[in-house]
Order: sequence, then C-alpha cells, then structure tokens
Amino acid sequence: MTSRAADLLPPVRPRRAFQLSGLPVGALLAPLLLLGLWQLLCLSGVFPPQVLVPPSGVARTLEEMALSGELQRHLGDSMRRLLLGFAIGAAAGMAFGVTIALSRLAEAALSPLFLTLWQVPVIAFVPMMVMFLGIDEPFKLAVVAIAAFFPMALATFDGIRGVPKSWFEVAKVYRLSLFQLIRRILLPATVPAVLTGLRVSLTRAWVVLVAAELLAADSGLGQMMEMGRQLFQIDVVLAGVIVTGLVGFLLDRGARWVESHATRWRAA
Amino acid sequence: MSAHPHAREDKPPQSVQHGALSVRDLDKSFQIGGRPHKVLDGINLDVRPGEFVSIVGASGCGKSTLLRLIVGLDTDYSGELRLDGERIATTSLDRGIIFQDHRLFPWMTLEQNVELALLNTDTPKDRRAKIVADHIALVNLTGFEKAYPHQLSGGMAQRAAIARALVTEPRLLLLDEPLGALDALTRVHVQNELQRIWMAQRSTMVMVTHDVEEALYLGDRVIVMSPNPGRIRRIVDVDLPHPRDRRSPLLHRLKDEILAELTSGADADAADNLVHLPSREPR
Repeated sequence: MTSRAADLLPPVRPRRAFQLSGLPVGALLAPLLLLGLWQLLCLSGVFPPQVLVPPSGVARTLEEMALSGELQRHLGDSMRRLLLGFAIGAAAGMAFGVTIALSRLAEAALSPLFLTLWQVPVIAFVPMMVMFLGIDEPFKLAVVAIAAFFPMALATFDGIRGVPKSWFEVAKVYRLSLFQLIRRILLPATVPAVLTGLRVSLTRAWVVLVAAELLAADSGLGQMMEMGRQLFQIDVVLAGVIVTGLVGFLLDRGARWVESHATRWRAA
Repeated sequence: MSAHPHAREDKPPQSVQHGALSVRDLDKSFQIGGRPHKVLDGINLDVRPGEFVSIVGASGCGKSTLLRLIVGLDTDYSGELRLDGERIATTSLDRGIIFQDHRLFPWMTLEQNVELALLNTDTPKDRRAKIVADHIALVNLTGFEKAYPHQLSGGMAQRAAIARALVTEPRLLLLDEPLGALDALTRVHVQNELQRIWMAQRSTMVMVTHDVEEALYLGDRVIVMSPNPGRIRRIVDVDLPHPRDRRSPLLHRLKDEILAELTSGADADAADNLVHLPSREPR
C-alpha cells in the first residue's frame, strides 16, 4: 500500500534527448558523418559507381523522380494503404484487446492463439495471402491491418489490466456507476498505453507495408525499390531507402507528439 | 479559520450527534494457502459521534482490515457493523476513507479530483465549485486548484486526499495510516492540520497508525491491538482537551505505557521465536 500514483503509471521514457522541436544540431551530425563516409568510399573507387552510387547521384535521382511526379505517386499509394489498413487493424486490435482484458473467458480462449500468431513475422503470411487475395489492394491492406492489429491489441490489453485495483476502490468509495467508472477512470487511465500502442503499430505497419510491396505490388515505395533493383538502378533503390526511413521517422515523431500532448498530466 | 466550509452552517445543530459507530463481535478470516487465517477476532468497539479514535498495533494485527470492513470495501465478515444504527453492507458517501497513498487520479487536477467525490451526492451543481474551493482552502491548498498530482509534494497530495474525503461531509471518516508515507517534518505539519480540521468539522474519525505519538496526539482514545489474530488489547483514554501540546507529560507517560504494552508480548514470545539454525547448534 505504499505505492504512489507515480509508481502506478507505466514508466515514462526520457524524451528530452530526441525532441524534434528545435532539432538539435547534434541530431544532424550523425547523418552528415554517414553521408561524408559514403562519399569518401565512392571517391576511393573500391566499388564501381554503378554498385555504390554516390550521395550526389541519389540526390539527383530523388530530384528527378520528384519533378516527374513518380516519387509522389509511389509515396501517395503507400500512404493511402498505410492509413486505411492501419485504421482497420488498429480498430480491430483495440476491440480485441478490450475483449480479452474484460473477459477472463475470452482471455483464456483466445490469448494463447493470439500470442502464438504474434510470434510469426507478418511477412511469413504473404505467400498465403497472395494466393487468397491476389496482389491487389485488399492484399496490401490486409498486411498492414495484421501488422497493426497485434501491437494494438496487446497495448490495449495491458493498458486496461494495468489499471490499479486501488483506483477501483476509490471509485467504489465514491459510489461511481459503471458508466462513470468507464468514462472517468478506465478510459483516461488507459489512454497512455493505447497511444503508445498506436505509435508502435503505426511504425510497424509502415515497415511491413514496404516489405510487402517489395515482394508483390504494382506501385508504392517498395515496388519502386524492387523495380530499381531489377533494372539495376541502385540510385532508385537508395532513394527509396531514404524516403522510407524519413517517412517512418516522421510517423514516429508525429505519434510521439500526439502522445505527449494528450498525456500532459504525466510527470515529465 | 476563514476556510470553514459553509455547508456546515446550514445543518441543524444536532448533526454532531451523527456518526456513532458500533462494532459487535467482529470476526474476519482470509484464506491463505487454502486454509482460513483469522485476522480479526471478537472485536467490540463503540465510537461516539464526533470522537477521534486512534488504533495502534503491530503490523498484521488487522487494523487496516478493520477499516476496510467499516468503509465497506470488504463485506465478507461475521459480526455486526453499524453506523448510527444502520447496518453497513457496502460503501456509502456517509463513510469516507483516506488511504496511505493519496490515490488521486493523475489525469485530473486537484480541483477535479476533489469534485469527483461530489459526483453522486445531491449537492446542487451550482454550489459544487464553491464547496470544492472551500475544502481546498480548508487543507491550505488554495492556489493549487489546477495542479496535477505529480506537481504536488507528498504532503500536499495527502492533504488534497483529505480534502477529497471531507468534501462529501461524511459522518464517519476513516484514516488508514494517512501520514505513513510522509517524512517526519511533513508528518508533524499534517498532524496539526488534521487536528485543526477535525476540530472545525467534528465528524467522527477513526485513524489507524503505527505511530504511537501520533495516535496519542490526535486521539480521544487509543485502541491498542495485538496480532495473530487481531484483538483489542487495551483502550487508553487520552483525557486532554484539543488542541494539544505535544510536550504534555501525560502524552509522554501514555506513550511509554503503550510502547511497553506493544513490545512486552514480543519479548515474551522472543524465546519461542528464536530460529534454530542446525549448523549453529552446540554439538
């Protein structure tokens, strides 16, 4: 009974070092260093320029693809799939998490299967899914939805189960009805866990989507890279790598921003 | 004290007669490893309206369990618990409790935390803000209405919890080691506040503590409990008017007596409880 409210909350990660607002100069140092090494390696002539395209070459390719609109087309296709698939997967994951958190029976019946399936990389389902869904949009949406489903379900489950018993007691002492308990205690108490779940599943869904597009797609960032590989346009592949990384980075930052603003009541 | 909650004033004067607690033949057992383990055995106690009763005892004497039963968080017991003649069956807004941890909700401001307690009372909506402000003033936290719990110190958070417990004007307030987690200086400070608040409110209070000095300083009576199973060992009347002086010789004499009482049993059992380590036995 010695626990304070601060101990009852999930630990808060220190965020100071990686803040986007007023991006510290230090954050640019590592990428610039990497670019420099990359350029040096190209100048050394160890690899032929067709294999190791210099940064300047990749930048030129990016610029050309952006000017022709090709980059935007691929990026737009990927983003559309991401957002739709993520919305479906996250909603389903949340509903599933609530179900197994509230019902011991549902937990006993479903959680072993859930935890087993969670151990399988989503990409392992791709061959099967291609057979059933083809390689069109439904397939890609399904991949994204599955990728988002698992972390979301788990975070929601943990969030609800993590509500301390002592808070239910306070609710009981003040005679809160079930509806008041849900609205005033359970929902706010699970918000931090659910938001973390949204962020993790969003970034995971992005990675899985690009991987799926590499395997089977007719458009999207992944397909753009795969075409580049087949045509031995390594500059296109590297351009895709950079854009994928940047998009993932921005998704994570955006989600973190939402997280920290929605849970400002937490100790920093 | 200007922060006196106004709601008291429009109550009939006999309101101080409310808050009589009676405990009759109370037994309570827990299942431990499949076997029943008695934690409270034959507790009989009458608390007068407006009285401050402290309960002290070694850990495991069931004193916190007793409070949980009285507040209605645990209803699995035998015997009888009555407040003003009504049998206690579940929680009620007539009975408030302050826990050792403040249990404020971290996403609510101090004000919202206190107001939560009024949610299911019949207090008119337009008067709630005023009542909340009055109680925040009562615990000297005016100016911190919009603060989140993590922005409050331990003592402030506990005082906020006191405000939340008092805002419903319960007939009986239970305090479960409310100052146990505070440092020595803050403790003394909040003890003074508690005494002042009790003198202003005059609702019945039952406080569990492991601090004999605190029990004597605040209590009209001190119940001394013994463990395994929890029984009332002795009831000490503290015949001193409030507010009290900590240096009072009576308090010190009673403290020595109660401490002797609490430790005497332990000494008698000490020989039986010695652990015999085989390797250290004389050969």
